[in-house]
Amino acid sequence: MKIISGKISVIGAALILAVFCSFSVAMAAEVSQGKCVNYDKEKKVITIEEYNTNFSKSAPYGEPTGVVAAYNVATAMIGIPPEPGDILRFAYDVNGTERVAIRVMNVSKQDLRKK
Amino acid sequence: MKSLVWRISSFLLMAYLLIPTGAWAAGGPASMLVVVADTRRVSLAVEKYFSNLYNTNILLFAVWAVVLTAAWGCILGVVMDFIMARTGLDLKSRKIVEH
Amino acid sequence: MDASWMYMYMPIAGVEIFWPGLVLIGYSVGVIGGFFGMGGAWMVTPGLNILGFPMAFAIGTDIAHIAGKSMVSTMRHSKFGNVDYKLGVVMLVGTMVGIECGAQIIMYLERLGTVGSVVRWVYVVFLALIAAMVFYDYHKATQKKKKGIVDGDKGTEGVTWYKTFHKINIPPMIHFKAAGFTCSVWLPIMVSYVTGVLAGFLGIGGGLLRMPALVYLIGCPTHIAVGTDLFEVMISGLYGAFTYTLKGRIELIAVFVMLTGAAIGAQIGTVATKYAKGYGIRVAFGCAVLACMVSIILKQFKYGTSAAVVILGAITIICIYIMAIMFKGAANELREKKLAEQASLTI
Repeated sequence: MKIISGKISVIGAALILAVFCSFSVAMAAEVSQGKCVNYDKEKKVITIEEYNTNFSKSAPYGEPTGVVAAYNVATAMIGIPPEPGDILRFAYDVNGTERVAIRVMNVSKQDLRKK
Repeated sequence: MKSLVWRISSFLLMAYLLIPTGAWAAGGPASMLVVVADTRRVSLAVEKYFSNLYNTNILLFAVWAVVLTAAWGCILGVVMDFIMARTGLDLKSRKIVEH
Repeated sequence: MDASWMYMYMPIAGVEIFWPGLVLIGYSVGVIGGFFGMGGAWMVTPGLNILGFPMAFAIGTDIAHIAGKSMVSTMRHSKFGNVDYKLGVVMLVGTMVGIECGAQIIMYLERLGTVGSVVRWVYVVFLALIAAMVFYDYHKATQKKKKGIVDGDKGTEGVTWYKTFHKINIPPMIHFKAAGFTCSVWLPIMVSYVTGVLAGFLGIGGGLLRMPALVYLIGCPTHIAVGTDLFEVMISGLYGAFTYTLKGRIELIAVFVMLTGAAIGAQIGTVATKYAKGYGIRVAFGCAVLACMVSIILKQFKYGTSAAVVILGAITIICIYIMAIMFKGAANELREKKLAEQASLTI
């Protein structure tokens, strides 16, 4: 009885996994972080100045690189509404030349480390 | 006296039961927190896969998390059984302590 | 000295974690939980929070590791024991809704930005209650010893609230065969809902509450309560893990590290119960709970480092104590076994 139920659960788990995997081949999203320069709510575009990954005590979010990039956030899941000056982190896909954001994290405003 | 205690405790119970509903109904004056896993900072392929999955397909990530946790638990259970059976200690006659 | 190798980056929570602390918490939760027979999850959430995890992540990670741990013990005993599956399934409804509610409260508090302090204070009250219970138990036991009363079966006589509850006549009434009673279906659902909310909110298994509730409020025989509770913990843990992951508040790496530590620790803990005598160890347990409480208060008032030192120090000491009991006892047993074998050979 026990073995049978064990087998059933294993098969069930495998089935669920198979279904999910076939539905959704995980796409490889890029991640970037930087300071919000502008948030155009009409066009749903956020522009940031990108930061690099040289984290240190004086630059906890990385150092500014001067590169400015625009993200289409029409379909993105956005946390605390970004304002110019906030540090944002994007998970995005590149669609042709456009960067389409999937998730937008307001790093500086929701600083989880303090929770 | 007894009825007072009863009344207070039933009030507390009601309050306890209703708090979650209240929190749910309140929805959110503040906005939800969204987390993006920083895949730039991980180098291990497995870690990269899972943090990427977290960003792109959280449902699949959740299924993976539950299945892997359960599977790892099962494996550890079997391994521990195997090891403990070989220590030579008598583990069968032990009284089960219930709390 | 460069101590950066002692810190591990957690990609989702986005924090650097002192990983030896993580290993220590996982291992000691196993040892202490295995020894005292109650989860021990009460120290994981505060412990993870003190190590630097954001509160919501600490709860999600704790609940996931409980799911894994219940799988370990289910595999170890190869079964749940005596489960009233009907009761288990009915209670699942309440447990799952309860966990979801608990998790929703956490997410709501997180949005408000008060999740850390609210959960910490609730934990302080919760741990104070556990400590009071432990010390009261100890006090009662020593008093009995003084008077020379031999402790009989810890029966359910005396508290018979369930008889009243069984009279509640809200349809549908349902009969539980294995447990052997009939009651309104709402009674187990309400009880499991209440424990579920607490489990989802504090990130505990809920056995600490569910076990007595099953026995005293629902009127379940103890042996069935044990099995049904384990069944309940496993399902609720898995559901909790799922819902917290879906909300994005889990750190898989930490779950695996702690689960591994806990599985090893639990063996030492359960074996040690075989050799432990007396009530002294109860006091040690009570002290560990108090130490955990103190460290939460320290964390609340921003003394993060001292909080970490207090909690890690306390659990290390109690772990070493239990391990000493276990190794001493095990060595004795093996020596005696050898002697017995030699004796039988000479005869």
